[in-house]
Amino acid sequence: MKGTLLICKKEFLELSKDRRTLFFSFVLPILLYPVVFFIMASLGRNDQTQREGQPSRVQIVDPSQIVEPWLKSDPKLFECSDGRPANLQQAFKDHTLDLAIEVEASAGARVKRQEPYRIRVWLDESEPASELALQRMRDAVKELDKRQVSERLGALGASLQIIEPSRILTENVADPGLALGKLLGSFLPYILMLMMFQGAMQHGIYVTAGEKERGTLQSLLATSLPRSQIIWGKLIYIFCMGLIAAVLNLLSMGISLGLVLGRVAEHPAGSAGLASAHLAAMTSPVNLLICFLLFVPLGLLFTSFILFMGIRAKTTAEAGTSLMPGLFLIITLGAFSMAPGIERMPLLPYVPVLNVSLAIRKLFGQQSSFFEILIAFFMTAGLAILMTWIATRLLDRESAIFKQG
Amino acid sequence: MIQLSDVNKAFRVKDRKTRAWKRIEAVKSLSFQVRAGEIYGLLGPNGAGKSTTLRMIVGLMKPDSGSIRICDLDTQEKPEPCRSLVGYLSTDISVYTRFTPRELLRIFGEFQGLDPRVAERRGMGLLEKLQLKDFADIRMEGFSSGQKQKVSIARALLHDPVAVIFDEPTTGLDVFTAKTVLDLLRILKSEGRAVIVSTHLMPMVEEICDRVGIIFGGELHGDAPPAEMLERWKVHSLEEVFFKLAVP
Ligand SMILES: Nc1ncnc2c1ncn2[C@@H]1O[C@H](COP(=O)(O)OP(=O)(O)OP(=O)(O)O)[C@@H](O)[C@H]1O
Ligand SMILES: [Mg+2]
Repeated sequence: MKGTLLICKKEFLELSKDRRTLFFSFVLPILLYPVVFFIMASLGRNDQTQREGQPSRVQIVDPSQIVEPWLKSDPKLFECSDGRPANLQQAFKDHTLDLAIEVEASAGARVKRQEPYRIRVWLDESEPASELALQRMRDAVKELDKRQVSERLGALGASLQIIEPSRILTENVADPGLALGKLLGSFLPYILMLMMFQGAMQHGIYVTAGEKERGTLQSLLATSLPRSQIIWGKLIYIFCMGLIAAVLNLLSMGISLGLVLGRVAEHPAGSAGLASAHLAAMTSPVNLLICFLLFVPLGLLFTSFILFMGIRAKTTAEAGTSLMPGLFLIITLGAFSMAPGIERMPLLPYVPVLNVSLAIRKLFGQQSSFFEILIAFFMTAGLAILMTWIATRLLDRESAIFKQG
Repeated sequence: MIQLSDVNKAFRVKDRKTRAWKRIEAVKSLSFQVRAGEIYGLLGPNGAGKSTTLRMIVGLMKPDSGSIRICDLDTQEKPEPCRSLVGYLSTDISVYTRFTPRELLRIFGEFQGLDPRVAERRGMGLLEKLQLKDFADIRMEGFSSGQKQKVSIARALLHDPVAVIFDEPTTGLDVFTAKTVLDLLRILKSEGRAVIVSTHLMPMVEEICDRVGIIFGGELHGDAPPAEMLERWKVHSLEEVFFKLAVP
């Protein structure tokens, strides 16, 4: 036991001597998320909100002045101009125009005769701004029609209600916090897994194949420390590094997310306040504890796999390449676990690694089943113990110590 | 103190051209013993099996058959107590370059069950004997191979081992450093330790070894004091024994 701690201490001491590695493993991930999140959030908001905050540029021909004054009365939505550009298509492309409208010349007379009049519209469906302008115009004309109908009904001594025998009231019960939770739950475990694996991998290779490559392993094995304690010391170190990587990423991600949500909440339209309240509920201590408990055996599984491959490899380069399939597998499984609807597939709770991210995903979506969490936990723990046992046996084989043979 | 009886070790290697597995008999029924206060020189050309023999004594490799005993402890039955009796210096001169010699010696002292302060004190004493004290607090990244070798020697002797196993301790060292190391070996001998050094440098053997074992193709050819060895083979230097063995 003492030897295990001594080896672990030695590894941490060695790590602490390398400023650059410390920076890249601990400081960079903390700095990275706020920057990435901020850029993503502002990019996402920019395009849409900017468009919605601006009036649509409409070019209108309306000799009988039925529609044009109506549109002009709302300068927030429409910026009207007369005359037809020489090349409509080009105008749409150049973003100088969003919609061209032509109201037929006899519209005034037709309205008097209570006949429908025609409005022709030109737009570019490939331009979101053009689509938005059409939608706005439709809404405006609908409102105009309603007024005319109401006037006509008034002349007949009836109210507008005559044409509205029923009214549908919709209410969205989807909880914005839960939606966010589901989204987070689907990609969070995946990111954490990836971060844990790659953090553990980088440092794991250094203390296994790296020691072999640098020729220091023999001096370590020639001490009176039992092999099992040396292995366990390295195992604990790698495990800690994986866990530290995951926790650091989680923290940084959480803080940046909080910042972004805070910014959204400043805009009155967002239900972000509610969302963050739900987020807080979701990340309750119990949920976080379950998450952590699921991640411990998973971390051990990753660690023992890295240890096994690291000791088996003759060089760090070989260790790196032999661990790549593991990383790839996690990426694939993670991407798979993020796919919508996947949680309903019957066999998935029995697929290792995947079942952990699935369990966490359901936990965040508030659909978790205790049974599935248990399966995920015990399966991962069982695999981890088996893998650890294999890895610890390996250092006793001299082929693992000496490069050749 | 150190006793090898009928030790065998073979490796299986793959011939990459014919794709056939080959058996390399690195050590063949090797038996010898080294007493306390004695320097034993294990002498042999490249690939003779010197390093393999020493690695088996330290427990880095396991013999296929036969037994190795240190202070009457079997290295296979009691690996850890045996390793604590041995100070081993391997051929590849490598140290944890992120540490300073002082830090390295402290931590290895702890590995060997010493109090860190005791380890540091003893380590500094050894560095002084090896004339490296001025570099005690400098990171080993830029150390020359001789400086690294000295640190490794200090590391190997830190826990006061009764058996000292040095694999080619003077290879790559200049004459001054080599002399420092040889002097140290003499001190170790005078302190009553059993010392085994492997080498292919004959003058060194003739100068410091009480007995030599000539190993060739994994087999021991003679085990006697250098002078007796010269007499037995009717030659003037040990080098000539090699040539005689190579051309039977
Ligand atoms: N791990 C190993 N795998 C395969 N073969 C090995 C291994 N270690 C040693 N050998 C083989 O065993 C034989 C003896 O090697 P050893 O290293 O003991 O020689 P040596 O006497 O120390 O030589 P040198 O003076 O070059 O260091 C060689 O043929 C070598 O190729
Ligand atoms: Mg050798």
